[in-house]
Amino acid sequence: MFQLPRPAGVPVRAALLLAAASVVIFLCTAALPGDAADVLGGGRATAEELARLRAEQGLDRPLPVRYLDWLSGVLTGEPGVSLITGRPVAELVAERAAVTLALAVAALALGLPLTTALAWAAVRGPRWARPAVNTLIVTGAALPQAVVAAALVAWLSTAWGAFPPVSMLPAGEPPWHRPDLLVLPVLTLALPTAAYGAALLRGAIADVVAQPYVRDAELRGLSPVTVLFRYVLPMVAAPATRLFAVLLGGLVAGTAVVEILFGLAGLGELLVTAISTRDVPVVQNVALLAAAVVVAGLLVADAAAPEAVRS
Amino acid sequence: MRRRTAGALAAWAGAAVLVALGGRALTGHDPAAVGATPWAGPEPGLPLGADGLGRDVLSRVLAGGQDLTLTALAAALTASALGVAGGLWAGWNRGRLSRAAAATADLLLALPLLLLALLAVVALPGPAAVIAGTVLGGTPLTLRVVADATAGARHAGYVEAALARGERGASVLMREVLPAHAGIIGADLAQRFVLSVQLAVALNVLGFGPAPPAPDWAAMLRENLPGLGLNPAATIVPALALAVLTGSFAALSHALTSRDGAP
Repeated sequence: MFQLPRPAGVPVRAALLLAAASVVIFLCTAALPGDAADVLGGGRATAEELARLRAEQGLDRPLPVRYLDWLSGVLTGEPGVSLITGRPVAELVAERAAVTLALAVAALALGLPLTTALAWAAVRGPRWARPAVNTLIVTGAALPQAVVAAALVAWLSTAWGAFPPVSMLPAGEPPWHRPDLLVLPVLTLALPTAAYGAALLRGAIADVVAQPYVRDAELRGLSPVTVLFRYVLPMVAAPATRLFAVLLGGLVAGTAVVEILFGLAGLGELLVTAISTRDVPVVQNVALLAAAVVVAGLLVADAAAPEAVRS
Repeated sequence: MRRRTAGALAAWAGAAVLVALGGRALTGHDPAAVGATPWAGPEPGLPLGADGLGRDVLSRVLAGGQDLTLTALAAALTASALGVAGGLWAGWNRGRLSRAAAATADLLLALPLLLLALLAVVALPGPAAVIAGTVLGGTPLTLRVVADATAGARHAGYVEAALARGERGASVLMREVLPAHAGIIGADLAQRFVLSVQLAVALNVLGFGPAPPAPDWAAMLRENLPGLGLNPAATIVPALALAVLTGSFAALSHALTSRDGAP
């Protein structure tokens, strides 16, 4: 399921992947009907003013030159300036990274054990419970995030009054000062992620469980937990680390929906706002950052997967 | 037994799509008309109450699935058709070119689906971005599944018999290989549909869907979440509609794959 081709070394592949992502990102934003000059001109600028703005922004230069210009800016730490607020993109990103990081780390910390538990229950749980767990995994992975969010708010916030339904975290305040605001967003991210992850991990666990040494261990009377940690999990390490990378990728993009729904000012909200106001420098750099996180996840997965178990 | 389960699930999923597509015809009121008290609870004439602008929730639910379902169907069918065609070709001719196609597909898989769709929405209208995202992120998956199945069938008895009868490769693929893997392809198509609904819901929640007065299940979730304590039906009913739509296709896909013995 997670086999990626290995034509070159892992770092080379990661660099290629990131370069390809940067080209895709640049072409998508360059294909915008109208350009940055239209945004800056506010729709009322005359043709001469637009031409002057274009020359100022360097938009009259050919595409490859603009691409290389952006790339060298990213590599030297000066990726650009927001068209709307006039502030450096690096500053905007630094301000909002904490919220998104807190959401993603907490969702992974909750999601990974839950993934393992669900996958194990589907394969080795009590026989009567297995169909129910499988149904839970299949339908849970299919639910759109916004539906999970609505269900959680209805259950935990409205019916129990437990957590604020829409959080108003003051911009710039570290999210861990108000952990109660993060509970619903983190659950919204973690639950479908765990179901999706379990759907993928289930098969790998079933393969290992069918091995004779696992049946031996069970017949020797070892507890299910010991069997899981000592005999099963080490053998699924390779698919599980790739699974980690896939889930991380889903979370990186998925936080956008959660941040918008729950009113958190993170990177996803920054990206979505920038797309709707056509703030091209912000879109380019936040998207590239997201791609870089995904590629980093794949790198870690490749490095962590033991050579012998690679398929 | 399994076959009957899959048949029942297929009928159920088909009915869900028909209701989503045809619900608009059943609306008594204009779904965009304003008139009731904001967040009014259920009352005679307003079975599901009103939303924050005083619009009839029932009419909005009935009409709000059409665009989303049509977009998702178009996206799933496009991604699946491209993936099946590419997979049959790549699995039949295991050459350098088909390996290159598989490598490109893997490259696309490394980028998250929603990120691809968000980038597409920069340049394209919402529904087109859903189709683009599903094709970029879903076609590689279909391609891999179909290519593996086709490569496995390449030397199967029924294929060799057909080739020995003198049938051409293309006709063997269409008449023998494709029907033999209808279950896998159907399951994959259902999975693509689930993914594209998820993608459409995400984009519409983020505000890239139909323009505001138009009713849409996903946009209703965002609009009505703040009023959940006042009129729960305004959020819960569209959420249920989306859950039934995606859940029935996911269950259908699961039933089809487990019948074929695939994990």
